[in-house]
Amino acid sequence: MLARADVLSGLLFVAIAVFGLWISRDYPVGTSLRMGTGYVPRLLCWVLLGLGAIVMAQGLRQPAPALRPTALAGRAVLSVTVAIVAFALSLEKLGLVVAIVLLVGIGSLATRALRPLETAIAAVGLIILSWGIFIAGLGLAIPLWPDF
Amino acid sequence: MEFFSNLAMGFGVALTPANLGFAFLGAMVGTLIGVLPGIGPIATIAMLLPLTFHLEPVSGLIMLAGIFYGAQYGGSTTAILVNLPGETSSVVTCLDGHQMARQGRAGAALAIAALGSFFAGSVATGLIAAFAPPLSRVGQSFGAPEYFSLMLLGLIAAVVLAHGSVLKAIAMIVVGLLIGLAGTDGNTGGERFTFDIRELTDGIDVATLAIGVFGIGEIISNLARPAEERSVVAQKISRLWPTADDFRRSWKAVLRGTALGSVLGVLPGGGATLSSFAAYALEKKSSKEPQRFGRGAVEGVAAPESANNAGAQTSFIPMLTLGIPGNAVMALMIGALTIHGIQPGPQIMVERPTLFWGMIASMWIGNLMLVIINLPLIGIWVQLLKVPYRFLYLAILLFCAIGVYTVNNSYSAVVIAAFFGVVGFVLMRLECEPAPMILGFVLGPLMEENLRRAMKISGGDPMIFVHRPISLGLLIAAGLLLLILVLPQIRGKREEVFQEGEA
Repeated sequence: MLARADVLSGLLFVAIAVFGLWISRDYPVGTSLRMGTGYVPRLLCWVLLGLGAIVMAQGLRQPAPALRPTALAGRAVLSVTVAIVAFALSLEKLGLVVAIVLLVGIGSLATRALRPLETAIAAVGLIILSWGIFIAGLGLAIPLWPDF
Repeated sequence: MEFFSNLAMGFGVALTPANLGFAFLGAMVGTLIGVLPGIGPIATIAMLLPLTFHLEPVSGLIMLAGIFYGAQYGGSTTAILVNLPGETSSVVTCLDGHQMARQGRAGAALAIAALGSFFAGSVATGLIAAFAPPLSRVGQSFGAPEYFSLMLLGLIAAVVLAHGSVLKAIAMIVVGLLIGLAGTDGNTGGERFTFDIRELTDGIDVATLAIGVFGIGEIISNLARPAEERSVVAQKISRLWPTADDFRRSWKAVLRGTALGSVLGVLPGGGATLSSFAAYALEKKSSKEPQRFGRGAVEGVAAPESANNAGAQTSFIPMLTLGIPGNAVMALMIGALTIHGIQPGPQIMVERPTLFWGMIASMWIGNLMLVIINLPLIGIWVQLLKVPYRFLYLAILLFCAIGVYTVNNSYSAVVIAAFFGVVGFVLMRLECEPAPMILGFVLGPLMEENLRRAMKISGGDPMIFVHRPISLGLLIAAGLLLLILVLPQIRGKREEVFQEGEA
């Protein structure tokens, strides 16, 4: 019953609102004439809290199928996120080539459909393509190789 | 005569060989990315924005216009050929467009879509040139209270377009407003929601948020779904040019679609999606043979395609003249303009006339480029659609990552985008539509600023919003709209309303 889309979204909104209120607990609120840093954010958090509660209550009343986390989804979330973070952290120090190899290598784990050879071809193709567009074409200051 | 001299000035700026080249390039890459299944105009534009940052403002804007139209049209191509709408605005194009493709008439459908869009785009460009000056004079008389009320109306109107629960859409707007406030408060200098992370003190860039939620989030959603067969049209497209019968049937539909789209596009919350749905419904209702719709009626392609292009274009009017985006795509365009050092609003036309009119002229050029590019190259787009998704998603992922990096020149922005990718995926799973959030995100700081100014004017009395007639009118409109939206839901009749809308 708790795993319905509406109940979960309501919970999410409430959680964001409570988190926001907690973070902004020390922000000066001020008066409506001289609004402080916290005036509008805290106001919005209270509104969101109310909306979230109503969404959740409605979700509890109306029957809906429960959402189930699937292995496929977990795999997609994990590999895509790690792939991008790896790309981000390696780009400036290790250069575009290594960063793309990491992104494609980790990203390819999101689906079983890719064979290792296909992944390698994709990596090489994308390295050439992005070198052509971003470094040779647009002249962006991204290093190509590791900087030792 | 002002009308023609302004347009002439614009074309004088836009029609240099280099700028034509940028328009061509923009429309080309816009279509290239926009045609990929599962990537709508918002993600396409966000991903390609960085390409324009290194250009002169005028050239950059011209290329941006090309990208904008390419992205919009690319979505229609995917809708017709693969039956996968890239975005809600091309959902109705699927209905008859894909049926035409199945009957081997994909070429005719694409050509009618391109020609109808071009006609609609030309008319809408004229409308912008005619109505932007008077409207921006109205805008100049707006004070802080009017702006605040207008933005509130725009946010409420954005809810109209969201599917499903109204309350969830409103909550998403509030979430967007909150994310928009993250960073340093321009008024007091205090930091908000920065978690002591240095990179967050300047706030989050709209392109980072949009690429994260729409680009990366969409990829995760697609990968999380079990793989299914996509029905790409396999036959070779032999005949590109529509028959005389197609033209006879569609010219009125194009005219009606253009008129309807032009009007609906100007409304806050309006734009491409609302226009195409309304135009399809109108065409079906007014047709003598409504039974042909859904079975490959050429009018069913011509009307919504003209309407969404007209609507996409006239939605520039409030954005350019008042500085207020009517939909998520416009919110992104405001972000792009700001990066080029241009603050859209009533003063832009007076302060930088060549830039303003150059941009209007470039819209028409962007439309023209679309026809030039798309008619001969349809075969290439078909080939592109045959590339398996397991290769495509890696390329899209990479372009998202590089795109975010180049906008911000910082790797931490890429990490933030990855975070919003997960957020986008979770939101889509929870059936919370992210588009209203983007709108709230862009409007958040603007609304706070105008709220503060209004309160300073009135000495802290909130009644100022009611005492000013224009502001009061806008608030009443927002209130009525909200009432119309929420009432059926409170009575539990929202489902019925929705079903009727779809029928």
